[in-house]
Amino acid sequence: MKLGKRAGAMLGIATAVLLTTTACSGGLLGGDTEGGDETGTIKIGMIVPTSGSSAPTGTSMSKGAQLAVDEINEAGGVLDGRMLELVVGDGACDAQQAVASANKLVSSGVVISVGGYCSGATLPTLPIFDKAGVPMIIPAANSQDLVNEGLKSVFLINGTGLQQSTAALDFIKKQGYATVALVDDNTSYSVDITTETEKQITEDGAAEVVLNTSVNAGESDYSSVVRDITSSAADVIYWTGYYQEGGLIIDQLKKAGYEGDIIVADGSADSTLAEIAGAAAEGVFATMTPTPNTIAGAESWIEDFEAAFGEEPKPYSTQSYDAVRLAAAAFEDAGSTDTDEVIAALEAIDGFDAFSGPLSFTPEHTLASGGFVILVMKDGDFVLHDDLQ
Amino acid sequence: MAQIIWDGLFVGSFYALIALGYSMVYGIIKLLNFAHGDLYMVGAFIGYFLLTSAGGAATSLGLFALIVVMMLSMLITGTIGVVVERLAYRPLRGAPRLAVLITAVGASFALEYGVAAIASPNPRGFPIRLDGEIIMVLGARVTLPQITLMLIAAVLMFALDRYIRKTSTGRAMRSISLDMKGSLLMGVNVNAVISRTFFIGSALAGAAGVMAGAYYGKIDFLMGFIIGLKAFTAAVIGGIGNIRGAMLGGLVLGLVEAFGSDLVGGQWRDAFAFAVLILFLTLRPTGILGERVTERV
Repeated sequence: MKLGKRAGAMLGIATAVLLTTTACSGGLLGGDTEGGDETGTIKIGMIVPTSGSSAPTGTSMSKGAQLAVDEINEAGGVLDGRMLELVVGDGACDAQQAVASANKLVSSGVVISVGGYCSGATLPTLPIFDKAGVPMIIPAANSQDLVNEGLKSVFLINGTGLQQSTAALDFIKKQGYATVALVDDNTSYSVDITTETEKQITEDGAAEVVLNTSVNAGESDYSSVVRDITSSAADVIYWTGYYQEGGLIIDQLKKAGYEGDIIVADGSADSTLAEIAGAAAEGVFATMTPTPNTIAGAESWIEDFEAAFGEEPKPYSTQSYDAVRLAAAAFEDAGSTDTDEVIAALEAIDGFDAFSGPLSFTPEHTLASGGFVILVMKDGDFVLHDDLQ
Repeated sequence: MAQIIWDGLFVGSFYALIALGYSMVYGIIKLLNFAHGDLYMVGAFIGYFLLTSAGGAATSLGLFALIVVMMLSMLITGTIGVVVERLAYRPLRGAPRLAVLITAVGASFALEYGVAAIASPNPRGFPIRLDGEIIMVLGARVTLPQITLMLIAAVLMFALDRYIRKTSTGRAMRSISLDMKGSLLMGVNVNAVISRTFFIGSALAGAAGVMAGAYYGKIDFLMGFIIGLKAFTAAVIGGIGNIRGAMLGGLVLGLVEAFGSDLVGGQWRDAFAFAVLILFLTLRPTGILGERVTERV
């Protein structure tokens, strides 16, 4: 026992020493390549999950970014012929892993970050990049918390929960629904959307919220919420949770004879929803950020992507592609890779040609417009219904 | 009102089927088999793979194919239950109660993440969907699949009740639950009877898994977790160790949940169900039908 303790303590000291030395050398290395470097390749960092259950999306995002890097390099690079180089770090949708990757990217000398998929893993990396003077263009993560940090160096090019609520309200008004039922799954992201949507609907006054309730995720039987919805006589229900529960609720609603419309938020805008809900999913609407197969005019881009990587692009690969192009445009506008000048250039961007429409930023560094579109379920897949423009 | 009662009874019959396995195992070897809910999940996945490998032929046969697959799944899930007992619980037969309890938690995780590793963690849609006519009974919407599934559950529970009360194995089970050493001295093959208990309990959970997959349409590797806890609650409400108590407890829990969520809102359903568990453990630890004072872990 005693021996074990001592061995443990020694191991602890050894680890601590090791950690400090690596941290030091990392810092020195970072100092070498950062800032003053006016020539040579420009390193672009990207943290996306390349392991774990979100790996397919994360890998596709990094390919979208790589496509943009290759195109820009082929066209002669930026800032008088400097080449871009994409450095991908694994965030694994895990806060600790993402922080480790962020430190690694910073010490490898990246000058801008174009990653961020899971909001929970992206949030703790913000201060690391910010302190190191690395501006961030976040392609997918869209929690309001990222905005609430209030960092000057953070730009979100995916629509946020707040914008999703606005899109839902626009669509509710367009369709002329009078009564709305809001259902979430008690997770913070989902509750944020229902709370914000209820606020906006009430302020707007065109429709009335007759039910705002939650379900517990991870169950199979949702008969109680189904009873609540059918007895509330809502014209439409807006479900803001994920497709697993969403599919079950839609199926059980239809079995219980519900005849109103159903809108789901981006967490449920996945074709798996139709697999779970079966025929009941037909005609379900979704508020969703544009995906490659729902963007008008993206066909040639999808062909390029398939030619380069031999697979179909997944959601957020377009946003990742745009993030790199946006970064390159900001370098050109700023005339350098200097942190403050790049941030100023990004803030001044107006009408940048992105997949989600002409892109410019609000003072909070979120998209000024065009974040969300309305999809509809047709033959087991979501297709574009209304771009809300 | 009628709708609430019907919804409650329907969910309750699932709880009852799973609670039976909990209760039987606890009654005989005083083990809370936390892996039991995961056997329900395993049963659903076995049903899924049997149906998908049978292909279009199975899906066109509908209910008949489902019952055949359910029987096969019961056999396989039952066998898995026996294997779990053989590997994880029998070596610890003489060990302190707590050690076995932790082993059960370990077995639960092993099953969950084993299935996640083999079948991927993504949820899957079940190949057969039970859709049917809606019949109005006293103002409640009742569907044919619901009636069929409840009938199947009732038949299984009735058969089990007869088995335990009328057969020699049933008698052996009851004698072991009273006094394991005594039964051993009287010539009962204790290990064989315990294996059989695990087989029956797991097979019932497997049947519930296939039924849930076919009715709700979605299966995933964590689907057994919450329903396992609910079934445990049902077993405690009915009087853990008591077979008829488990059936009654399942139905009571289903009704309590249905009325509770109607009263205070759906998001409180689980809070309500587990508050009832605490209430029963404090006020009546022996449950509704519990005759003897059960030792709690």
